Amino acid sequence: MSFFGFGQTADIEIVFDDADKRKVAEVKTDDGKKEKLLLYYDGETVSGKVNVTLRKPGSKLEHQGIKVELIGQIELFYDRGNHHEFISLVKELARPGDLLQHTSYPFEFANVEKPYEVYTGSNVRLRYFLRATIVRRLTDITKEVDIAVHTLCSYPDVLNSIKMEVGIEDCLHIEFEYNKSKYHLKDVIVGKIYFLLVRIKIKHMEISIIKRETTGSGPNTFTENETVAKYEIMDGAPVRGESIPIRVFLAGYDLTPTMRDINNKFSVRYYLNLVLMDTEDRRYFKQQEVILWRKSDKSRLPLHPHHPQTVSYQGHQSLRKQSVSSDDNSARATPSNPDPENVMQRSVSPSMPEKQNGPLQMEREKPEAFIDKLAGAHINENDTNDTSDEIEEPKPVEKLPVVEKPLIAEKPQIAEKPTLNRPEPAGSPSQ
Amino acid sequence: MTNQVSPVEEQEKLLEEALNIVKVQAFQMKRCLDKSKLMDALKHASTMLGELRTSLLSPKSYYELYMAITDELRHLELYLLEEFQKGRKVADLYELVQYAGNIVPRLYLLITVGLVYIKTNTNLRRDLLKDLVEMCRGVQHPLRGLFLRNYLLQCTRNVLPDTHEAPNENEGTVRDAVDFVLMNFAEMNKLWVRMQHQGHSRDKERRERERSELRILVGTNLVRLSQLESVTVEDYRRMVLPGILEQVVSCRDAIAQEYLMECIIQVFPDEFHLANLQPFLKSCAELQPGVNIKNIIIALIERLASYSQRNEGNMNLSVVLEDGQEQEVQLFEVFSDQVAAITQSRVDMPQEDMLSLQLALLKLAQRCHPDKLNYVDRVLAHTDKICADIHQSSGQSTLEHHTPVFKELMKIIKLPCDHYKNILVLIKLSNYAPLIRHLSYQGRVMIAVHLINDVLETNTAISTPQDVEAVLGLLDVLVKDQPDQPPSESDVEDFVEEQGLLARLIHHFKSDSADQQYLITSTARKILQGGGARRIQHTFPPLVFHAYRLAFVYKDLKDQDEMWEKKCQKIFQFCHQTITMLVKAELAELPLRLYLQGALAISEIGFANHETIAYEFLSQAFSLYEDEISDSKAQLAAITLIIATFEQINCFGAENAEPMRTQCALAASKLLKKPDQSRAVALCSHLFWKGTRDGRPVWALNDASRALDCLKKAARVAQQCMDGGVQAQLLAELLGRYALLRERGNQSLTPSLIDAIIQKIREELANLDQSEEVEQITKHFHNTLQHLKNRIESPDPESLGYEGLTLS
Repeated sequence: MSFFGFGQTADIEIVFDDADKRKVAEVKTDDGKKEKLLLYYDGETVSGKVNVTLRKPGSKLEHQGIKVELIGQIELFYDRGNHHEFISLVKELARPGDLLQHTSYPFEFANVEKPYEVYTGSNVRLRYFLRATIVRRLTDITKEVDIAVHTLCSYPDVLNSIKMEVGIEDCLHIEFEYNKSKYHLKDVIVGKIYFLLVRIKIKHMEISIIKRETTGSGPNTFTENETVAKYEIMDGAPVRGESIPIRVFLAGYDLTPTMRDINNKFSVRYYLNLVLMDTEDRRYFKQQEVILWRKSDKSRLPLHPHHPQTVSYQGHQSLRKQSVSSDDNSARATPSNPDPENVMQRSVSPSMPEKQNGPLQMEREKPEAFIDKLAGAHINENDTNDTSDEIEEPKPVEKLPVVEKPLIAEKPQIAEKPTLNRPEPAGSPSQ
Repeated sequence: MTNQVSPVEEQEKLLEEALNIVKVQAFQMKRCLDKSKLMDALKHASTMLGELRTSLLSPKSYYELYMAITDELRHLELYLLEEFQKGRKVADLYELVQYAGNIVPRLYLLITVGLVYIKTNTNLRRDLLKDLVEMCRGVQHPLRGLFLRNYLLQCTRNVLPDTHEAPNENEGTVRDAVDFVLMNFAEMNKLWVRMQHQGHSRDKERRERERSELRILVGTNLVRLSQLESVTVEDYRRMVLPGILEQVVSCRDAIAQEYLMECIIQVFPDEFHLANLQPFLKSCAELQPGVNIKNIIIALIERLASYSQRNEGNMNLSVVLEDGQEQEVQLFEVFSDQVAAITQSRVDMPQEDMLSLQLALLKLAQRCHPDKLNYVDRVLAHTDKICADIHQSSGQSTLEHHTPVFKELMKIIKLPCDHYKNILVLIKLSNYAPLIRHLSYQGRVMIAVHLINDVLETNTAISTPQDVEAVLGLLDVLVKDQPDQPPSESDVEDFVEEQGLLARLIHHFKSDSADQQYLITSTARKILQGGGARRIQHTFPPLVFHAYRLAFVYKDLKDQDEMWEKKCQKIFQFCHQTITMLVKAELAELPLRLYLQGALAISEIGFANHETIAYEFLSQAFSLYEDEISDSKAQLAAITLIIATFEQINCFGAENAEPMRTQCALAASKLLKKPDQSRAVALCSHLFWKGTRDGRPVWALNDASRALDCLKKAARVAQQCMDGGVQAQLLAELLGRYALLRERGNQSLTPSLIDAIIQKIREELANLDQSEEVEQITKHFHNTLQHLKNRIESPDPESLGYEGLTLS
C-alpha cells in the first residue's frame, strides 16, 4: 500500500494454524465467483499468525499499533455504506512503536461464537473475515482474509413428514406427502403425490425448490425469489387413484441452510413448490416451506442406516389408511385439531389459509402471470446441462439411496392390489 | 391435394428430424465414451433421450424412434458394464443420473444404470428392481409410459431372480421377480387402457388401431412371467394368475381383456391352465360385455383338448373346493359348468357365440372323453335349450338359413357325425335328433344328406328295427312331408337325388339274422309309407328287393328252419302289399317290374303254393299292363318284360300257363304300331317254345306249331310295313329268332322256311338305297348268315342243324 512511493511500507500476511489440514468450503463472492475458504464452525478457535514483511528491509516502520480483528458482518446491497457487524473481536498484537524487521505475531480467538453461516445472496451477504491492521498516521496498512463458517444442526431423525390434502373444488384434489419437514443439505426428498380427483387434463408435474431471500424490515423489506431447482416428477395425465413417487436429491443443488431472521437483517427460506401444468398451460401449485439444515460431515458417514429414504408409494391405500388412523399427527390443517404436529406445520407456513375444514385451497395462477416466470411449459434442457456440470464434482455421498432398506417390505399389503398379495407359503417345502 | 401436408408425410418428417438428433447425440455420446468422459456422455445421452418426450409421433413412429434410441443406449450400457467389471466404479452414478430434470430421459438413464448395477452386484438386485418399477410411475402419459416400461422389461429380462431360495436375501427370489413383472404389467395395462379414453370420440377407430399396435408391449409382461422357470404350478396358482386376472378383470376394458386372456392361454403351459381352470373361467364370466368371450374359451378348450390327446387322456385334474379339499374332476365337467355359468350371466352374449361355445365343448368332450357319450349328449341338450331360447326370442320355430346361429348349429350337428363316422352312435345321443329339428327345412335336408353320405362312405350296416327307426327319425325330412316345406316343387332334380340317396341308405338296413331282417324291412316300410307317392317310388323298390333277397336266404336256410315256407309266403305277402301301395300311388311301370321280379323269385324259390303266388304276381303285372300302361313304347317294353319273365318261369302247369300265354300273344298282336306288333308277336314264340339250356328239362308245354305261327304272323305283320328299311330290319331280326328257336330244337322251323326269309330279306335289301341304316341292317343280316354258315360247317351236336340250307 504505497500510494506515494516513499517511506517505509509493509505487507501483511495472515497465516492460519492448521491451514493445510483444515477443510475448505466454497463460498460465493460478491461478483458471483466462487472461492475456496478455510472452514470454521461455531465455537471453534481461530488462531494463527500475522506476518509483517517490510518492503525495504533496514529502514524502520513507524506505527501506532498492530491489531487483528475477527469480524462477522452483514452487508445489505442496497445499503452499501452500512455494514452491520454482529461480531467484532480485536486482539492487540503490538503497541505503538517502530518495526525494524519482519515480525510474526501469533494470535488466537478462542472459542469464538459464530452464530451464522456465511451467505451470499442477491441482496445480502454475510461474511466473516480477519483483518490485520498496522495503524499509521496517514494510511493504515490492512489485510483482510475471509473465512467460511458453516453452522451445523442436528435434528432428531424422526419422521415429521409433511402430508396435506389440497385442491381446487371439483377440479383437482391431491394429497401430497414429503417424508420430512426438515432436510439436511445432502438429503433426499422422498414423497408421493396421490391423486384424489382429477378433472383437468394435466400435462406434467414438477417440484421446484424456491429460495426466498428477505432483507430489511418494515417498509424497506425486499424479497427475492429464486428457483434453485426444477425437477419434473410426472409426465402425462394421471387418473384418480394414481400415486406418483417423488425423489429429489438435494446434494446437487446450490443450497444453504434455512436462515431465519439473521440478526434481524435478513432471512433465507426454502419452499418446495409443487406445480401441475394442464394442457392449456394453466399452472396449479402449492408451496410448502421446508427447513434446510447443514449436517455435520462426521455424523454423515453412517447416514442413518435405519432411516428409510423411500417412502412407500406401493399403494395409496395403506397410506390413506395410515393418514386416517394417524390423523392426529398428520399435518392436515384442520384448526379444530391443534396438536404438536399441526402447530409445527403452521409455524412452518404461517400464511396458510385455514378457513375451512376441507382440503386446502391450491392456488391457480393466471397463465399470463407466468409467462415471465417460466419459459415454456417444459423444463429446459439447460437444467440437465447444469446438473451434469455439477455432477462432475466428486460427491462425498457414498451410499446409494436404494441400498438402504426401503420400508416397502415391512408395510402391510394393500387392499388395492390384492394381486400382489402373496399367500403365506404354509408348509410348502418348495418355497 | 391442398397445400396441407398429409399426416403420413408429417409423421415421416417429424420422425426424420428426431432420428437425426438421435444420430448426432449418439455420435457425441460415443465419442465422449471413447475419451472416457462419462459425464459428457451422459449429458448427450440425456439430450438424445429427450427426443422421447415428444407427443407428436404416432405409436408406429414413436416405436421406430424408441428402437433407434435404445439401440444407442446399449453402447452406454456396455461401456458402463465394462468399466464396472474392471472395478472402475463411478461413485453414485445411480444418484447422479437422477439429477436429470426431465423425467423421461431420467428414467431411461436410471434403468440403464440400474441394470449395470444389478449385473455387477447381485446384492442390489431386489431393491433396485423394486425401485425401478416404482419410479416409472412418474410417467403417466400412455404412449411414453408404455415404452418406458417396455424398456424396463427388456433390460431386466435376463436379470430377474429365478430361484426359490436366494443365497442372499438381497438377491431376491422368484417371488420378487413375479411381483416386479406383475406390477409393471398392471401399470402398463392401466396406461394402455387409458389410451382408449383420451382424445376425441371420433378418433375412436384410429385409437383402437393404435392400441392394437401397442398390445404386444403389454403382453410381453405375461411372456416374461411365463419364462420364469422356477414358477411351479403352485406358485402360478397363488401368485401369478390371481395377480393377472385381478388386473384383467378390474381394468374393465374389452380390448384389453380379450387380448390378455388369450395371451394367458398362449404363454403359459398346459399344466398351469389345467390346475387353474376354475379361477380362469370364473374371471371369464366377469369380463366386460363387449368381450368376445367365446374366442377365449374356445382357445383354451382347444389347447387343453389337444394336450389331453397328447397325453392320451392321462391328466391329473383336480380342483380345490371351497372347503379347501382337492377333488379330482373331469376336464369336461369343469368347462361345462363354467360355460353354463358364463352363458347364464352374460345375457348380452350373441346367441351364435353361445352355440360356438357349445361347439367347443362338444369338441372337448369328443377328444378328451371319447368313452363318455353322455358328455356329448349333455352338450347337445344344452344346445337344444339354447335353440329353444332363440326360438322364443325370435318367434320362429326354426333357425333361418344362412344366419350365424344357423351356421353354428350346423357345425354342432355335423361334428359328432364327422367324428364318430357311425350313425349308430349318433342315434344313441338322445338329444341329437331334436337338435336337427331346430334347423330350417333346407338345413335339415343338408344334414340328412350329410348323414346318409356318411353311412354310404363307411358302409355302416343298420341292423335292428330300433336302429332303423332311429335313423329314419334323424332323416325325417327326407322320409315325409314337412310342415315348413317350400310349397312349390323347387327343384325336382334335387329331390330325386335326395330320395336316391335315401334309397341307397335303405340297402344298408341289413342284418345277418333273417328274422331280424324281416323285422327291419317291415319297420322301414311302416315308416317310409308315410312319405307319399313321390317318395315311395324311390324308397320302396329297395325294400322289395331286400324282401326278395331275404326269401332266397330262407331258401338257403330251409334245412335249419322248418318254418321257412311259411315265412317265404309271408315275405311275398309283404312284397305284394308293398307293391300294391305303389300301384295305389298311381304308379304302373315300377310295380309291374317289381311284380315280375317277384314272380321270378317265387318260381325260383319254389316253396309250397308258390305256383299260385307266382301266378298272382304275374297276373297283377299283366293287369297293370292292360289297365295302366297306355304309351305304345312303354307297352312294348312292358310286354317284352312280361314275356321274358314268363319264359324264365318254369313253375306253371298248363292250367296257369295257358291263359297267360294266350293273353300275352293277344296283347302282343294288339299293339298299335306294326313294327311293335311284329316284334312282340315274334317274341311270343318264346311263350310256346323253351329250349333246354343249362340242363333244363324239356318243357312239357312246348308247342312247336304255335311258335311257328307266331313267327309267321310276325313276318306277315312285318311285310305290312310301308317302309322298306323297317321291313328289312324286322325280317332280319326275325331270321335271327328263327335260327334261335331252331337251334333250341323246334323242328317245325325248317331250313326251307329260313331260306324263304333269307330270300325275302335279300329282295328287300336290293330295293333299298344305300344309307347308314341300311348298312347296319345289311351288317346284321350278314352276321346272321355267317352264324348259319358256321353252324352248317361245324354243327352243334346237341341242337338241330340246318341240313339242306344252302347259302349262296
